[in-house]
Amino acid sequence: MLHYVNVNIDGADIKAPRGSSVLEVAIEYGICIPHLCHTPGLTDIGACRLCIVENVTNGRTQVTTSCTLKVQEGMAIRTNTERIKRLRHNIAELLVAEAPNSRAIQDIAVRCGVKNVRYPFHNSNCILCGRCVRACAELWHANAIGFVGRGKNRHVERPLGLREEVCKGCDYCIQLCPMTITPCDGPMKPGEEYLCGKCESQLMITEDVPDHCVWCRLGEGFNCGRYAGIKAVR
Amino acid sequence: MLKLATREDLEITRKRLLFDRKKIDKTLIICGGTGCQASRSRDVIDAINKELFTREMDTTVHVRITGCHGFCEQGPIAVIEPGNIFYCHITPEDAHEIVTRTLKNGEVIERLLYVDPVSGEKIRTESEIPFYKAQDRQLLSRNREISPASIEDYISAGGFTALTKVIDNMSPEEIIHEIKVSGLRGRGGGGFPTGRKWAECREASGDEKYVICNADEGDPGAYMDRCVLEGNPYLVLEGMMIGAYAIGATKGYIYVRNEYPLAVKHARAAVQQARKLGLLGEDILDSSFSFDVEVARGGGAFVCGESTALMASLEGKVGEPHAKDVHTVIDGLWHKPTTLNNVETWANIPSIILNGAGWFASKGTKGSKGTKILALTGRIKNTGLVEVAMGTPIRDIVFDIGGGATDGKAIKAVQTGGPSGGCLPVDKFDLPVDFDVLYEAGSMVGSGGMVVMDESSCMVDVAKYFLTFLQDESCGMCVPCRLGIDRMLEIITGITEGRGTAEQLDLLEDLADTVTQASLCGLGKTAANPVLSTLHYFREEYEAHINDRKCPAGVCKALIEYSIDPEKCTGCGNCQRACIYGAISGEKKEVHVIDTALCQKCGICRNECKFEAILVK
Repeated sequence: MLHYVNVNIDGADIKAPRGSSVLEVAIEYGICIPHLCHTPGLTDIGACRLCIVENVTNGRTQVTTSCTLKVQEGMAIRTNTERIKRLRHNIAELLVAEAPNSRAIQDIAVRCGVKNVRYPFHNSNCILCGRCVRACAELWHANAIGFVGRGKNRHVERPLGLREEVCKGCDYCIQLCPMTITPCDGPMKPGEEYLCGKCESQLMITEDVPDHCVWCRLGEGFNCGRYAGIKAVR
Repeated sequence: MLKLATREDLEITRKRLLFDRKKIDKTLIICGGTGCQASRSRDVIDAINKELFTREMDTTVHVRITGCHGFCEQGPIAVIEPGNIFYCHITPEDAHEIVTRTLKNGEVIERLLYVDPVSGEKIRTESEIPFYKAQDRQLLSRNREISPASIEDYISAGGFTALTKVIDNMSPEEIIHEIKVSGLRGRGGGGFPTGRKWAECREASGDEKYVICNADEGDPGAYMDRCVLEGNPYLVLEGMMIGAYAIGATKGYIYVRNEYPLAVKHARAAVQQARKLGLLGEDILDSSFSFDVEVARGGGAFVCGESTALMASLEGKVGEPHAKDVHTVIDGLWHKPTTLNNVETWANIPSIILNGAGWFASKGTKGSKGTKILALTGRIKNTGLVEVAMGTPIRDIVFDIGGGATDGKAIKAVQTGGPSGGCLPVDKFDLPVDFDVLYEAGSMVGSGGMVVMDESSCMVDVAKYFLTFLQDESCGMCVPCRLGIDRMLEIITGITEGRGTAEQLDLLEDLADTVTQASLCGLGKTAANPVLSTLHYFREEYEAHINDRKCPAGVCKALIEYSIDPEKCTGCGNCQRACIYGAISGEKKEVHVIDTALCQKCGICRNECKFEAILVK
């Protein structure tokens, strides 16, 4: 039997199954918290930090990622305060400046209100969200890829750089990778990166949707709970 | 030694050891810590032992090789008891004289005495040295009493009496109450009340609980934990045993970084000796308390000082932190309740139990009790490990213990708390060493690093140095820490190379705030402190770099230019010969000039010039 706890997210009282994360519950109830590294069915590591929320429990306000935060009785969560919006904007800006060559990242940046990027663009191929690594380890138990290195040298690599026999060739890593969704105008060359911002036009039509969901491709590709919902309405 | 089956056995052994040691009339205490070993203390010890052996004095003179005394700069150091004679900078060639003159005849060798850099006087005894005199050495002073390789030394110096006291007379609740009342706070950096941590861990449900000693110290220039674990591993062990007894843990780990080979060796030896004596294992000293300790080596990642990363590393996983929404006292090592304390915290426990919470709480300030070991380094006369009561003003530490600036320069700032701490300017030197006060001032006590900087340090460059360190040491998992530090470093490097703009300072502040608030673990949450504190207190230096394209301290190479003062130059040619780039030209006994196109700004000429004729602008 499922046990439920009472939580309050953005003023809405919600009965949430015990053991689920705040992010899962929020998505389930149509409160869209932007997220990138969270994938249903995989362990959450809280790497992208986009899904940060304020946890105002026991009189203390704490900023934490909603994907790793498990629901607890009496918890009060604020997902869209000015502080959170500012932090999320800055994180999305860091992400898009690092890896602009992905429609998924560009969409997230727009969704988090990034209007211009204050840093020079780097054209990275990987933003280390760890979706591929976790899928490989947890869904297929293959462990054919993993993180190597520390700090700025951290990257995803096969053991000893070789294609391993343990790789089952499932291609799931590629399917889950946000960097495989090319920007609408095609791949950006190094030195010619820009903030696409095209999806901003969609903000107008979807004004009735909470949190200005831009109907991002990320949601479609990665089974965002909102995506299916909006599609049905339209 | 035989196994100590009961508490009486321990007392009998102690009495026997003390009786045996009465025969020794002279003791040569010589430091064998890592610092002194680097200055050849091993060779000195060998030479002295050989000398004693040839003169047949090895039965009457006891040579005690101890851990670090704290005054590493003067190493190798030795103290001769009785008499408390203090010798420093000893070389193996001095062994003959020390044995024949001091140990045999009681004469003092003037040449080896310590010269106070402030007054210029020679000082005969250890207790008179200002560096030691101004301190309150509760933990560090115990290093000289024992040899870290000998549990007998520790027992004869009153070791394990706190353990017998808790086993005999105290319930776990009483111990936790005592620690709570003492006001002891975590010495590793966080400053979390230790008693509260223990209480939460004791109340947490779980069939198995763990205690861990965090000896993964990685701050540049700080070595408090190494010194304590290396010099007195038994004290740490006893603290852990008391903690385990209070919490209900049966297993403990000492997580020590492999870069501290001597600490690993001593900790392992201590655990083995304690096991042999029955002080670790089943039913310790005829009580129902069972406990064992394992020494685990870490790979030296700075991030493994973070509790969750340390535990992941202990479990055999990659040392990366994870979200701490449930505290490790409830869900820690192998998802069991775990108490993680720093070396220094554990080492404080036995004396709190023995002397009472009131004794401990009598030292320090309202919020921070007891003493704290600090690693005092930088541009001051006396550097080394110092232990002061909490609440001691920074000024006293820098000027009374540290002896003030070298070369008559003016002290500008002090960097406290390592890479996670901040820089405090000289007008904040009246602030006490107190967890809360320093935190409010934008810095922190941290694990106790204290780097003193004078006017020749550029604060932008300091921030750059710490960011470079953190960029390498960040695990790279979460975005704000990995990309945030990277971007902050990018901006600051731009500023030091003369590409900075005024808007970048606001961006830097905004970004630093994001990194602080949104990062996953303690490393990221404090990573921006060096930037924020220097921006707060030394904004004019940043502005000078940006607006005037000048580095006031003359450090940032892209913004400085070397030239020769024609009035001071004597034409000696020293600089010309020293310059490896051939940038200096001039005839003998005539004023030399620097070709700025060729000059690489290495500063060698400046060091070579005896007339201070090389100018940096």
